[in-house]
Amino acid sequence: MTKSLMRANNLTAVYAADSGQDVPAVDNVTLELPEGQILGLAGESGCGKTTLGTALAMIANPPLYVVAGTLEIDGNEINLSTLPKNANQVHRPYRGETVSLLPQGAMNAISPTLRIRDLVVDVMRAHNGSVTKADALDRASDRLKMLEMPTRVLDSYAHQLSGGMKQRMVTVISTLLNPALLIADEPTSALDVSSQKALIEMLLAMVEAKIMRGVIFITHDLPVLSMVTDRLAIMYAGKVVETGRTEDLVNNARHPYTAALLSSVLDPTEDTRTKHVLGIPGSPPNLGNPPSGCRFHPRCKFAMDVCSTTEPKMLSEGDHDFACWWAKEHPRETIPMEVTHA
Amino acid sequence: MGLRRYLASKTGWYLGALVVAVVLNFLLPRLIPGNPVDVIVSGLGQGGLSSEAQRQIYEQFMKEFGLDQPMWNQFVTYITSIFQGNLGKSFAFYPTPVTDLIAQSLPFTLVLQIPAILLGWIIGNVLGAVAAYKGGAWDKSVFTTSLVFNSMPYYCLSIILLYVLAVMLGWFPPGGAYSLGNSPEWSMAFFTDALQYWWLPFISLLLINIGGQAVGMRSMAIYELGSDYVNYSRSLGIGDAKMTTYIFRNAMLPQITGLALSIGTMVGGALITELVFSYPGMGTLLFNAIAANDYPVVQAVTLIITVAVLVANYMVEVLYGFIDPRIRASKSGEK
Repeated sequence: MTKSLMRANNLTAVYAADSGQDVPAVDNVTLELPEGQILGLAGESGCGKTTLGTALAMIANPPLYVVAGTLEIDGNEINLSTLPKNANQVHRPYRGETVSLLPQGAMNAISPTLRIRDLVVDVMRAHNGSVTKADALDRASDRLKMLEMPTRVLDSYAHQLSGGMKQRMVTVISTLLNPALLIADEPTSALDVSSQKALIEMLLAMVEAKIMRGVIFITHDLPVLSMVTDRLAIMYAGKVVETGRTEDLVNNARHPYTAALLSSVLDPTEDTRTKHVLGIPGSPPNLGNPPSGCRFHPRCKFAMDVCSTTEPKMLSEGDHDFACWWAKEHPRETIPMEVTHA
Repeated sequence: MGLRRYLASKTGWYLGALVVAVVLNFLLPRLIPGNPVDVIVSGLGQGGLSSEAQRQIYEQFMKEFGLDQPMWNQFVTYITSIFQGNLGKSFAFYPTPVTDLIAQSLPFTLVLQIPAILLGWIIGNVLGAVAAYKGGAWDKSVFTTSLVFNSMPYYCLSIILLYVLAVMLGWFPPGGAYSLGNSPEWSMAFFTDALQYWWLPFISLLLINIGGQAVGMRSMAIYELGSDYVNYSRSLGIGDAKMTTYIFRNAMLPQITGLALSIGTMVGGALITELVFSYPGMGTLLFNAIAANDYPVVQAVTLIITVAVLVANYMVEVLYGFIDPRIRASKSGEK
């Protein structure tokens, strides 16, 4: 494995519910990303992917609290917890410059009464008070030229841009300060297919140009993930259940949830018309009261007695990590994909 | 370019609205049943005048006020006099010119309303924004109190204040604008006297204005605080102070309309407040004029209100064009 860019250690984030009970949406997650790579983060709705992204971007807001976890990045070790009184002041300088967020749906990401160029200047000045307006705008228009986007968008207001253009503009703003890590939270979900393609090509070009040194790409769009990512991390009920190189996961899933998730998407092949997607039986658990042992066991075809009592530990097979009792008993065996023929 | 077209279209619309308003203003009092001259003359009749003398007086008044002319002629006269700054003579206080009556009442209304509206707007917006930002106990107490003042009928609050501050505590005189025997003039003695009478209606208007603005600002600011751009700006490392300016600019928009509308309707006087405190402003003038079928005064007051509301609204629209690019774009069809 190449040099590590970032490592998030033992990250736990909870939502404080009105009942007074905390709901852990991200539970003791450790995640690593090598320099220059794109890590895909996938899982069903409500599995904690966006919460994990929010915690890493250091913008957790009540009722979400990051209660534990550190982020090693760029030679810094940042305490991600939002519990200390000064957490906001400690985190602010890192936001946008070390870790930046590309938000889900950029439609309302820019204040409607603000010209794009004013936001650009504000972002630059937030990290370096002495930047002049002209310098900030030069930098932005250079970046736009490099990405073959029209520089006139700087003079526009958000409502004057199309959806795809707005999302690409937001991407440019998010990466203006060359952040070490970009967290892209479902950036393509609100776009039509051609805008999706344009955005992904732009992100890949930016990684190529080393504008950012790593990307965490959060989505439930599995075809997009397998196309752009170097590595995948699959989340289930607030935990990472399997990580590894994308082709290893796609071809050789070691966790039954990964296998089930991947089999819920069809690759267009000759016999696609005759295939049926089974989906995953049951529904995601209530995180306020998760199942004992392995959290996936109530929905798992391969569940054994031990699964309902004891939580599986992370195991490694080379550069491929997974937490599953079945996989432990069946080393190097691929989980059979659940596709039936009609 | 968009801005100029936007302004031109707005100006056109407002001129049109003004014409319609002036026509209605002329017609409406004349459509009310009851001829004012009848009222005046029947009043004289009780003094024991002969019917022949009454008829003569009636005809003279009809001629004097131009009521014997056809509607069309009356309208032309009306428009010409407006442009000459002549609003006619009051029926009820004949032959006092209407402009004199207004000149007596308007200062009282302005002195009462301008500080109450501006101060109420500023305090209300700050309170509302702070309540939204701080949340918790702050929010609960500010919001509840504001809601009470905002929802309470004017006369109710005025009467409570009148009873507590004037009758029970005796801090302020209960009504009027100056002491008996005093008369409006530019002297220190008059101002100190009038100030005593000013406080009570001022406080009641101020509380109501604060309440209304705080409720509006609070909900706008809460809405803006939860919006995507706040979260995104935060993720870019933009500081709280800068972000507050974003939030304010967006949350302010409806509040500015509110301010302009209250400034526009202000010249009409705070009708109920003025009546409760027997304050001789435009509200009292209008109320008495309606009771006396005093067309020229009613018309003059409504005309002034109309023009003031139109001007205030026009200013808001122009201001909006500068503040909010979306409005400019959608109104000039630029999209």
